Amino acid sequence: MAISIAESLHIGLSDITTRKVRSIATIFGIILGVISILVVLAIINGMNASTLTWMEQRGGTSKVDVQRNWNYDFSKGGEANLSLAEVEQIRKMIPEAVAFNSQVSLYSHNELKYRGLSYYSTVSGVLPDYLQVENWGVSEGRFITDLDVRESSNVIVLGSSAARDLIGTNDVVGKKISLGNNVLEVIGILDEKSWDNKQSGSFGGNMLEYMNQQSFIPISTAINRFDNTMKVSSLQVTAQSPNQALTLQKKLDQILLNLKQGREIFRVSSAQEGIMQMQANARIFSMVFVLISAISLLVAGIVIMNIMLASVKERTREIGVRIAVGARRIDIFIQFMIQTVLITTLGGVLGIGLGLLILDNISAYLEMEMIVDFRIMFSSVLVSVVVGLVFGIMPALRAGNLDPVDALRED
Amino acid sequence: MEIIRTEALIKDYELGKVKVRALDGIDISINSGEFVAIMGPSGSGKSTLMHIIGCLDSPTAGEYYLDSVLVSKMSKSALAGVRNSKIGFVFQSFNLLPHLNILKNVELPMMYGGLSASKRKVRAQEILEGVGLADRLKHKPGELSGGERQRVAISRAIANNPSILLADEPTGNLDSQAGGDILEIFDRLHKEGNTIIMVTHDPIVAERAQRIIRIKDGLIDNGDLDS
Repeated sequence: MAISIAESLHIGLSDITTRKVRSIATIFGIILGVISILVVLAIINGMNASTLTWMEQRGGTSKVDVQRNWNYDFSKGGEANLSLAEVEQIRKMIPEAVAFNSQVSLYSHNELKYRGLSYYSTVSGVLPDYLQVENWGVSEGRFITDLDVRESSNVIVLGSSAARDLIGTNDVVGKKISLGNNVLEVIGILDEKSWDNKQSGSFGGNMLEYMNQQSFIPISTAINRFDNTMKVSSLQVTAQSPNQALTLQKKLDQILLNLKQGREIFRVSSAQEGIMQMQANARIFSMVFVLISAISLLVAGIVIMNIMLASVKERTREIGVRIAVGARRIDIFIQFMIQTVLITTLGGVLGIGLGLLILDNISAYLEMEMIVDFRIMFSSVLVSVVVGLVFGIMPALRAGNLDPVDALRED
Repeated sequence: MEIIRTEALIKDYELGKVKVRALDGIDISINSGEFVAIMGPSGSGKSTLMHIIGCLDSPTAGEYYLDSVLVSKMSKSALAGVRNSKIGFVFQSFNLLPHLNILKNVELPMMYGGLSASKRKVRAQEILEGVGLADRLKHKPGELSGGERQRVAISRAIANNPSILLADEPTGNLDSQAGGDILEIFDRLHKEGNTIIMVTHDPIVAERAQRIIRIKDGLIDNGDLDS
């Protein structure tokens, strides 16, 4: 006896097409609501993706960094560095690390010279694992090896900008350059690091250019041939996985506290911690904006409900006729329910279409990365269906509960 | 064979705090294939009686048997089924759905009856051809004359082969020519074996019926024209 859903859909669709102007007016609010949801989620998505790219460029999501704690008050004692013996001690305590690097900075020697040309570069002494902890690679030649470290070899690896500006672009590997009183052989050039901060718009540019201006020598060379009082100022470690990185971060924190008699001289941070912070921020940000969108959808829903209530009133006689020829209350209820949901869903789909168009234009204008994925589109449509279901109930109930005798008397 | 039987049918309405008795114990019996006219002044309760016979309303007390089934105690959704399969309505003001073409209007009861789209289309076409509207199938009701609209309404009423046809002043909105045509159709349907119950206050229309039931003050009026 019941009429099928397909039948109800058909009635709903023809209702909408016979009342085009009203239908368009009805869905206007929902279109705006869905557009605002879409844009906000796309911006958040873009921000997250952009930050992840940055994390990837800065060593990946499994990286753990040990650096000087700039908030530490050194009047309480202690030194902001580690001896080679201490580094070795730490290294033995974290065998689970996939890669381990200790770093010294040659602040006193930063002028690279080649055939009368000078280039000022931040020179660091590092271990072979540096390449891995920084997620970096060489574009030409090779990186520092264990043998270089053992022999304190007079070798240097240049950042891409340093190589280009000091020597040029051809046959850089094998050239001899001088640093302080030492002559070093260029054994490799690093890949170019690049990250465009789309979120900061036109102020962007390559935010990692400073890395391309750096150069690297074996840590032993730095200590033995330049300054034997130098100590290790930072460590970089790669864990097996982003989750392991969190565990390793806690462990290293404890190790360093013990090593420095409870003094918080070093700060241990992990990329994963940063990502979690970013995700927490994104969650708050999106909750606030989704709430705002929800308010606009609530208003849209109330508008739809009122228009549908007016429609039920206007169509009282039609409802009476349908009941007289055998429609049950549930048939009438479903007819109006489906009509409301169809209208809001249509609004959702139109909202996505318009939203994509708008995003395309504003993201180009603001030079901001905005990403719309299937998940966002799906949830936008889902939201509009839910609005239809929630705000369609009252009009549909009113239609279904009409008394046929009264309904047929209505003019 | 008896198709309609009512026993002590009572209907009360509440108008604010006042209780109004519209039907005050109606006993009628109508046989299958009969053509009956129900007459009475306005406010007599004839519309209420028709709504109850048409299962659009339920009596406050008393019993109503349709096709030997006690329908006065049925649930509202069960009554929808009864209206759909056993009753065909023809109204004074046609009551066609204005945004549907006449074919779709005639299909409506068959749709709620669960007939497939192709079957009901064939059936609706057949019926509309029978009332001379074969060339108007795609027209909307607004594009037809009153007489044509009432023929569509009759087609819709008989679509599901109901047990009874209930007509409420079917010629009330028509000129005498169109009204005559409509009454011809009712005569034909009666000859084909349909049970027809027609509410009217026009004695000329009522004369077409085999029997006249007069209602006055919620009671059957057995005055001078006792049948």
